[in-house]
Amino acid sequence: MLDAFNNGIVIENPYPVTQVEIIQAPLPDKVVLPLQQRIGEEAEPCVKVGDKVLTGQLIAQTPDKFCTPIHASISGTVVAIDQQIIPHKSGLKSTCITLESDGKDEWIENEGVGDFLHCSRETLLDYVQQSGIIGLGGAGFPTHSKLRCLQECQTLIINATECEPGISCDDAMMQHNAREVVRGIEVLLHITKATQVIIAIEDDKQEAYHELLMFNHNERILIQQIPTKYTSGAEKLLIKTVLNIEIPAEELAIDHGILCQNVSTAKAIFDAVVDNKPLVSRVVTVTGDAVTPNNFEVRLGASFEHIVALAKPNNQPHAVRMGGMMMGVDVASLAVPICKITNCIFVNNVKAKEVVQECIRCGQCNQVCPVGLLPQQLYWYAKSENTEKAMDYHLSSCIECRCCDVVCPSHLPLAEYFSFAKALYRQETQTQEKVDNARERFEYREYRLERNKTERAEMMARKKEELKQKMANDKAQKDKIAEAMARVKKKNDSDI
Amino acid sequence: MIAIFSSTSQMMRQVIYALALGIGASYYFFGWGIIAQIILAVATAIAVEALFLKIRKMPIAPAIGDGSAALTGILLAISVPSIAPWWVIVVGVAFAIIFGKQLYGGLGNNPFNPAMLGYAFLLISYPLQMTTWAGDFVNLSQALDVIFNLNVVDALSGATQLDEVKTQLALGKSISELSVHSTAQAYINAGFLLGGLYLLIRRIIFWHIPVAFLAGIVITAFFLSLNDVEYHLPTQNHLMLGGTMLGAFFIATDPVSACTTPKGRLIYGFLIGMLVVIIRTFGNYPDGIAFAVLLINIMVPLIDYYTQPKVFGK
Ligand code: SF4
Ligand code: SF4
Repeated sequence: MLDAFNNGIVIENPYPVTQVEIIQAPLPDKVVLPLQQRIGEEAEPCVKVGDKVLTGQLIAQTPDKFCTPIHASISGTVVAIDQQIIPHKSGLKSTCITLESDGKDEWIENEGVGDFLHCSRETLLDYVQQSGIIGLGGAGFPTHSKLRCLQECQTLIINATECEPGISCDDAMMQHNAREVVRGIEVLLHITKATQVIIAIEDDKQEAYHELLMFNHNERILIQQIPTKYTSGAEKLLIKTVLNIEIPAEELAIDHGILCQNVSTAKAIFDAVVDNKPLVSRVVTVTGDAVTPNNFEVRLGASFEHIVALAKPNNQPHAVRMGGMMMGVDVASLAVPICKITNCIFVNNVKAKEVVQECIRCGQCNQVCPVGLLPQQLYWYAKSENTEKAMDYHLSSCIECRCCDVVCPSHLPLAEYFSFAKALYRQETQTQEKVDNARERFEYREYRLERNKTERAEMMARKKEELKQKMANDKAQKDKIAEAMARVKKKNDSDI
Repeated sequence: MIAIFSSTSQMMRQVIYALALGIGASYYFFGWGIIAQIILAVATAIAVEALFLKIRKMPIAPAIGDGSAALTGILLAISVPSIAPWWVIVVGVAFAIIFGKQLYGGLGNNPFNPAMLGYAFLLISYPLQMTTWAGDFVNLSQALDVIFNLNVVDALSGATQLDEVKTQLALGKSISELSVHSTAQAYINAGFLLGGLYLLIRRIIFWHIPVAFLAGIVITAFFLSLNDVEYHLPTQNHLMLGGTMLGAFFIATDPVSACTTPKGRLIYGFLIGMLVVIIRTFGNYPDGIAFAVLLINIMVPLIDYYTQPKVFGK
């Protein structure tokens, strides 16, 4: 068994999904599909209000080579093209197409590419793009452009680790669709011409592992079990675990001929290339202590509410997070739509906040940091807005995984401080390069950062004010100390 | 695996529990004095901390609840002689909390180990009271008598072994002429050693500091004794006398004032161990732990900076 990167944390899944089946969520009455994808330009609608659409029909085309188009995820009528709240902490609005279901779920006939083995790399890449496929592991990077970046690929790593404890959508999908996964990987193999493929799967997913083994007859595809540990799903750490190659902070995996793809993305590629179906649904884990945890196959654009209701929430007040318990973001409203990167919805009872105390330098945090940082030092400098010093301590390498938060006995929101300090540093230096490197590692962070800009500016102003206040207090205190010292000195002198 | 503690107070409580064995051994050999000192110390620590928080207009309950003030009090109480007059511990603890902690901004901000700062202050200010130790088991009424009525009962008092050795060596005797051994101190040290191992197992402290500390003592003592066997205390005595185990597992490991990087902790512990032996051998004070810890505390930021672990991808 491999255990190549240090630290990280082993967290038992607190709310395991007991049912193996993936529950087919009923067709939603209405779906809301944002035109703004994770990066790049907004897509341009090619339908008008009142138009009838079929499931899988193209409804917005992208002007940008980088982006993916948008498809109707149900059949019905276009009822609105307007500003809607999208899944984001700050409740940001963005242009969306709203479809009302006709309840029939009629699919559009799609020609497809025929036998993929006879297709050129370019044809397949275009087709992957046209099918709206982006990385489904939470990163949301358009798959076709990731595949295009690459000139020569020796190794293709299929990331079948769940990115965070508590999420089991990939696991469930592999248990049910192992054949499709393996076929999807073969398409990827054909596109990338990789010499080997490694499916890296955590050792707590035995059923999925055996399913994959059963369907894999390709000797170029190796299935490797890795220890179940949080942050092993982070791209560079995964590469370290699987290949024992440490990609330098300034470089990308691609530079080393390594390409990582999420396992659900492979399945989506199968659906598109072999089954001629664009990406219109995904598996979402709904979990947390306020619901009965389960995995649901949901149409994109269905509301969080639609699917949370299926998980039998209790009647207490909830806090809802998109993404996992570690790196997820709180969403303001349950009206937001499921999007391609929504791998998990965390629904927890609202709890009393833990009392935050000062750092006692106990060092629990540096025992767990997967990148080998000293969070207590970073905290010290982030708190005092000394970003230069924080950078000296490699702030830019922090992937904001929150491992340190979890073990901190003083309950300090360390990762929050670090993301704040990074933003401050960016603002100060106007050079984004260093920070970009860290973002690269956990790509979906970027999504959040981008959208967070306004919010962050506010937060920064607020924190600055608070810190100023605190500094003033500290100064008063220092003066007090000086006074006390002087008094003592005087007393001592007079004693002598 | 790592341990996840629900709060700082939970960690502090574990440390206090871990001290119980050593305190029990102390009680067994020297009697009630130590219990009285601990009660006095904890009461003073909490009162002074509360008072200062009030002056600083900070919430009192969470800071008292975290147990760090009580712990400082206990550590100081078991370091001062168990028959010292009551005001010694009260003044010492007050000094430790005020100058060792609150004036720097409270928990987490103090560069020095507060208990050792208090100890050093007492040793410099009241050397006589700080070096008169119980020679035998002291019962409750005797303890209260010496502590509160300030009767220095000669029959009860004695010097520590380390002190004794120092005096005798100064008088020209050699080690082989002295019988350097104290069952009581050996047992007390064993008690703190076991408590320390408990902390290690619970992952409240990490191994680096105690191991390096003890290594520092052993290696330094060994080289000194190579130099001149007759005039330097043998290595095993350094380990079993004085506050060695208390220092290794409970004092040098105070997280706030110690190094935080793994490598830094090794250097930090080793330097303290080395200094302890040097102070015991060449210094004027009976036990060197307090001064050694305080001296190396000053170097912590420097050591931490130069011992940063390797960052992934760098
Ligand atoms: S875990 Fe928390 S209290 Fe301990 S050193 Fe890290 S930041 Fe400080
Ligand atoms: S959030 Fe940053 S500092 Fe904390 S454990 Fe993760 S990478 Fe390390």
